[in-house]
Amino acid sequence: MDVATYVPAEADGRADAPGFGTGVRAMAGWLPGMALYGLVVGVMAGRADVPALAGWVLGPAVFSGGAQVAALDLLGHGAAPAVVVVTVLAVNARLIVYSATLGSHWRTLPGRWRALAAYLLVDPSFAVGLDGYEHGDHRGAHAHYLGGAAALWVTWLTASAVGVLAAGRLPVGLGLEFVMPLFLLGEAQRRLTSPTARVACAVAVGVVLVGTSIPLRLGLLVAIGAGLAVAVARDGEGGR
Amino acid sequence: MTVWLVVLVAGALSYLFRWVPAVLVDRMRPVAALDRASAYAVPVTFAAVAAGAVAARCAAAPNGAAALAPLGAVVAAVVAVRRTGSSYAGIAAGMPVLWALEALLT
Repeated sequence: MDVATYVPAEADGRADAPGFGTGVRAMAGWLPGMALYGLVVGVMAGRADVPALAGWVLGPAVFSGGAQVAALDLLGHGAAPAVVVVTVLAVNARLIVYSATLGSHWRTLPGRWRALAAYLLVDPSFAVGLDGYEHGDHRGAHAHYLGGAAALWVTWLTASAVGVLAAGRLPVGLGLEFVMPLFLLGEAQRRLTSPTARVACAVAVGVVLVGTSIPLRLGLLVAIGAGLAVAVARDGEGGR
Repeated sequence: MTVWLVVLVAGALSYLFRWVPAVLVDRMRPVAALDRASAYAVPVTFAAVAAGAVAARCAAAPNGAAALAPLGAVVAAVVAVRRTGSSYAGIAAGMPVLWALEALLT
């Protein structure tokens, strides 16, 4: 049985032109999972051996769950500041790929709009935004991206604030941070609609597993690059 | 003070990762390869991030048997997503399997 073909919201027969509201609705499917993940990250911030407010401010500053988890873990264990910063950047290196991809759609936009759009860029906003650019008119797609990204930002910061405040009341050891990799795995699986996508993902996963010994946690960026290179090569050969 | 400085520096540099490529793309001619890559960017990056997190959890397990718990959770999640098309079904299937296997194998 094949995985159901991924159908973005704007291609499923709805009449709404893309805009801020459609972006919010497109992001709605992500929000329960992101709220749970944000809660978990907030709990980590509340329990780490750092000021709770600083742990929460890591949210609007870095705006990336994986990087925040890594930073809180290192800060809580007294790691050197440079190690924390380099680790955050290594985890966030994938944002370079996202920025280069969406940046090609932002060419004609004012600098201030791009500055805001860039700040809100992370895995879910990238996915929602890219759907809008690939399936809608460009002008509406810009607002679609902002709507989804803004909804995510508000949800993330609110959930993590609740987590910080509730840190002392929630049970330890549930492993709820594992929710996010399961969710991302599902979102990737839903998009494996061609042999090229399947091969590219398999290559990326293989490189990640082999590349765990690459210093500075750069194995993830190498894996993403390898997967995309394979995809581009197969696509260029006409193999889909 | 050091923690606040780390937060600010990490945030500023993370922002540069988000902003600089978008600006540089504006100054370059469109690259066909980048357009082709964008169609696969989401599944490839999500699969890589997920695999890295699963591998890290396996590596952090207290013993070899317990390292199977995240893998069992992934198998359950993959099956659930395949049957339902829903990522939330993957979470609903995977997390109980994770908890059960970690309780049994730790």
